[in-house]
Amino acid sequence: MNSYAVEVSNLHKHFGKVQALRGLSVQIERGITYGLLGPNGAGKTTLIRSIVGLLPPEAGAVRVLGSLMPDKRVMGRIGYMTQDVALYEDLTVRQNVAFFAAMAGVRIDVQRINEVLALVELSDRLNSRVRELSGGLQRRCSLACALVHRPDLVVLDEPTVGVDPQLRVQFWDHFRRLNAEGVTLVVSSHVMDEAARCDRLGFIRDGRLLAEGTDRELLARSGCATLEDAFLHFAEQVAIPG
Amino acid sequence: MAAIRILTLARRVIEQLRADRRTIALILGVPLIVLSVAGVLVRLEASGATVAFVLEDTGAPLPIASGTVNLGERLISSLQGVAEHLTVEQMMHDEAHARLEDGEVDAIITLPVDFSAQAIRTRKVTIPVVYEGSNPMIARTLDTMLTRGAVQMLAGLSVVNTGGAPEITLDATYRYGSAEFDQLDYLAPVFIGLFVFMFVFILTSVAFLRERVAGTLERLQATAIRQHEIILGYMLGFALFALIQSLVVLLFTIYGLKVHTMGSLLSVFAVEVLLALLAVNLGIFLSTFARNEFQVVQFIPLVVALPVFLSGALWPIEEMPGWLQPFAWMVPLTYANHALRDVMIKGLNLIEIGPYLLALAGFATVFVLLSALVLRRQVGT
Repeated sequence: MNSYAVEVSNLHKHFGKVQALRGLSVQIERGITYGLLGPNGAGKTTLIRSIVGLLPPEAGAVRVLGSLMPDKRVMGRIGYMTQDVALYEDLTVRQNVAFFAAMAGVRIDVQRINEVLALVELSDRLNSRVRELSGGLQRRCSLACALVHRPDLVVLDEPTVGVDPQLRVQFWDHFRRLNAEGVTLVVSSHVMDEAARCDRLGFIRDGRLLAEGTDRELLARSGCATLEDAFLHFAEQVAIPG
Repeated sequence: MAAIRILTLARRVIEQLRADRRTIALILGVPLIVLSVAGVLVRLEASGATVAFVLEDTGAPLPIASGTVNLGERLISSLQGVAEHLTVEQMMHDEAHARLEDGEVDAIITLPVDFSAQAIRTRKVTIPVVYEGSNPMIARTLDTMLTRGAVQMLAGLSVVNTGGAPEITLDATYRYGSAEFDQLDYLAPVFIGLFVFMFVFILTSVAFLRERVAGTLERLQATAIRQHEIILGYMLGFALFALIQSLVVLLFTIYGLKVHTMGSLLSVFAVEVLLALLAVNLGIFLSTFARNEFQVVQFIPLVVALPVFLSGALWPIEEMPGWLQPFAWMVPLTYANHALRDVMIKGLNLIEIGPYLLALAGFATVFVLLSALVLRRQVGT
């Protein structure tokens, strides 16, 4: 077993005329939270969908937990939370969580479902239909669905968009706890101030990885005071030769 | 100011529709297709019935006056004048019965050697008829025509008619069904199939569309579940509803509406299961071409209304113009209708309707493959 949870090498992907990924490579160690940062349209979601096995690579390769993707056996060990809520609105919170647990190939265990719902503080809304929940509560339920099967890799596409500050803090607390259990997290965001919470960061633009490292490293290398400026600094560096 | 707002809103509606080329094509195109098919069918000559005559009658001498009369021959010629679309053919017993089995002949009238003699002696005309019977309306129409023909046969025969015209009776027997069968017995099998097909199709396509639009399909596909498991799961889930629905429809039809059924309910069920599985996959397949519920609804005229016209539900396929018939056999409902009618009216068993079942299974397989294909493609985009 190698030490990387995710290894993306020279990944290409295009949709029609749009080149979403142009030879992107990135390695993500186990047990850390890795932030993918970049503006909308940079290729974050395409990268994430490739990592979770939804998009077979055109060129290059994606390895997750040691296996070439897409691999259904590995996909059962990934927890994926999409940008949109993506839940069955007519079903209850418990039914949704139980459904995704079963889809991962895990035996439905009432205790585990209760545990994960307690974790996202939804225990009192177990039997509410998702449709009746507020946006923030739906996000919690969505997170519960991504975590219920104790995945080794959790991939979250813009998990804190539209989430109130209090819930955002709670989410990051969960993420830290998961890291402590050895779970790897990949989180995408276009909000730079969130990035400081990640162990490592990857700046993505135009389907490429601009720069990579801890937030301190990135600030030091760019000589900038904020990550926002650092991002712009690296973006310009790439733009001049290209 | 209000007028400007109204006009602006109207313009927005028009612009939105214009952006949706497919909707325009479906709104304008499908009614024309459905109308032309319906038009052709409605204008079809009223069902042309064929009566086979097995004439063994040798005639009989007239009472009082001199000469002989052959009532059988008179019946044939008077029937030929009764209605334009009634074909009367004389043939041998075996041929007549063979052609009745094939459905080419709708009734057989066998007149025995002493038909004329009996009629003159007993002053009673008894005409033995065997109706094919699977379309009760044809038997009903023939009934009237034959009586009218028999009356005409006697007209002008003053010698026979003295002392009041002889009594005319049709001694009718039915190859399939009975005199109690009515139009509903003919149509009910079609409805039973149509309901399952239509509702399962609409349910699946809307459910699948929602799954795609809500993003749950993407999330589902990112789990350990495989494409074929998704399809099988959908088939199983909807098949259950389809079966409950067909059970309710079937029981109500038979016990509530008192529709006759000659065959076993299990055979009817077998057809329903196949039809439901086929509809699930057609729903999955077509839902990928729709962006919203509105577009799913637009498929209904194409997927439900057109097949109803083409499937022989109301107009027998054999009577359709030649160019239309191949299209009729491309419609899965056609096979379901034939199978269901064969079971419920003719009382055929599963083996006898086997070819129809095979055809339905074939369609189901094609739709399974198509929906697997679109599911796979959906991931890649």
